[in-house]
Amino acid sequence: MKKNNLIVPEGTRDLIFDECAVKREVESRFKRLFESRGYSEVITPGIEFYDVFTGKARYFQQEQLYKLVDSKNRLLVLRADNTLPIARLVATRYRESIFPLKVFYNQNIFLANPKNSGKDDEISQCGIEIIGGDIRKSDIEALSIAVEAMKASACGNFRFEIGNSQIFDGLVKLLEISEDEIEEIRAVIDGKNYPALNSILDDYGQNEVTSALRVLPSLFGDGGVFEKAEKLMQWKFAQEAIEMLKNTFLFLEGLGISNQITVDFGLVSRKNYYTGLIFKAYAENYGSPILSGGRYDNLISDFGFSVPAVGFGLNIGAICMIELSKSSRAKVKVPDAIVFSENEMDADIILYCNNLANKDFIVENSVLPTLEQTLEYAKRRGIAQVHIMDRNKVQVLEIEE
Amino acid sequence: MKKKVLIALTKGRLEKDTTVLFKKMGFDISQLENKGRKLILSIPSQNIDVVLAKAADVITYVEHGVCDMGIVGKDTISEMGGSFFEISDLGFGRCHFALAGKKGIDFYKGYGVKTIATKYPNVARSFFQSKKMDVEIIKIEGSVELAPLLSLSQGIVDIVETGTTLNENGLEVKEFISDISARLIVNTASMKLKQERISEIKQLMEANL
Repeated sequence: MKKNNLIVPEGTRDLIFDECAVKREVESRFKRLFESRGYSEVITPGIEFYDVFTGKARYFQQEQLYKLVDSKNRLLVLRADNTLPIARLVATRYRESIFPLKVFYNQNIFLANPKNSGKDDEISQCGIEIIGGDIRKSDIEALSIAVEAMKASACGNFRFEIGNSQIFDGLVKLLEISEDEIEEIRAVIDGKNYPALNSILDDYGQNEVTSALRVLPSLFGDGGVFEKAEKLMQWKFAQEAIEMLKNTFLFLEGLGISNQITVDFGLVSRKNYYTGLIFKAYAENYGSPILSGGRYDNLISDFGFSVPAVGFGLNIGAICMIELSKSSRAKVKVPDAIVFSENEMDADIILYCNNLANKDFIVENSVLPTLEQTLEYAKRRGIAQVHIMDRNKVQVLEIEE
Repeated sequence: MKKKVLIALTKGRLEKDTTVLFKKMGFDISQLENKGRKLILSIPSQNIDVVLAKAADVITYVEHGVCDMGIVGKDTISEMGGSFFEISDLGFGRCHFALAGKKGIDFYKGYGVKTIATKYPNVARSFFQSKKMDVEIIKIEGSVELAPLLSLSQGIVDIVETGTTLNENGLEVKEFISDISARLIVNTASMKLKQERISEIKQLMEANL
């Protein structure tokens, strides 16, 4: 039988040298940002019960989840999302804590993609969740942290996108149609599939609601779309939702990213997931969002504790890819010196290394048998100095490039 | 300077129709007409590069964002799925998916599980799923019409244009499944990053259909 002991599963990868150094460096930037704004980190298990991810609303398709069984034959899944486990955590262990709660996470999720699609099955994500608090104030807080995160990501000229799921949800409610029919319309608006949208809506007659829905996916762009939206949708709920987006837009302009904002009235969320503000950020030359988030006021109540929340996640893998593609400078630190002694039982060599390391020197203790091999090793790795210890004496050799 | 846009174009019949469309749009198509063996061709003065690819690859390139836009048949979109914007029905390359079987035989008769031969297993599966029917699906790469003739399957799910091939082989359409035509698809990030340019191209295309 063929053994698969020399390869990794599709959609996963080993990270070595710069790939690894860049990832840790990028993660530490976000950790610093979130901690400096009062967020505390949570770590949830890598495996969870299947039921956590397939609650009332069934946010995930069975096919997307990596499954295992426990000793009692109960179905487990590899963590497929960061927000749902945090929702579970809030509804249970945080229930009695001080609200609003500001948490961040930095951990991987696992999604099973169709084979040979070239998509990652293991995705490294970090992000924040704000649970409780005033709705508008926490929306704005999440957005401003998201903008800071995009600046910290150093992805260059990013584009920030905002939408409000209440517009679509309010419109379809007026149609008084079944859940399945709503999902059908949602999918085609999400895909900006105008021909399919038109043919579906033909079944619901010509009225103000269907004509608004027809235009919805094309209502995106800069601040100019607000006027069109206001004329098109005169219902109270829509006017309120438009007003909210407009204020959000103005707030973002105030943050100094005025030419980088898109409003998209056609942003609809996965089934019932987001309940208000939705936002995403894109970077040049990367084919999907780098950041995505929004308000999810019903999610935690699925776990029996009703509290509003907002948050976003960043795709760390994508940010690292962009970082690695733009700079060729090595991120892995080369030691400043390597220390060699003929006598391997010499404790002084360790004291000597400790001493150098305390002075912010990167120092490597040679584990090679001979000085000759140590010199050769230093040369190949670009280590500038070889320190040779002989009893209490140290001789420093400078290695030429 | 206009923002650079990469358009993936399905090789073969759609390529010819699209070239005609580009010409009507006032694009300089000299490179497309004399392409030799080049796979990336440019439309001068528009800052557009055209990539020639097989239908399924057009979707892959657009989904990954290495091409901003693509022109591909609805048949391939239905089979492959994926996440991208499908913003326009270009109208050409029109045909449809249908279930076909031997002439004069009621396909749905009897309780046995039916076998279906097709190049489009996902399309076939979701069609029968919507009918709440369990069927066995066999993927065929070439002329699917052979399968019922050789009694490999009772029916086929395939693209039907005029029905001539079916007719000449003693087969007939049993049921219409869905319409097919060329579609304009766009990568979700490109749509936001290059909105003006993409809307401009889309409008120009629609005005010249």
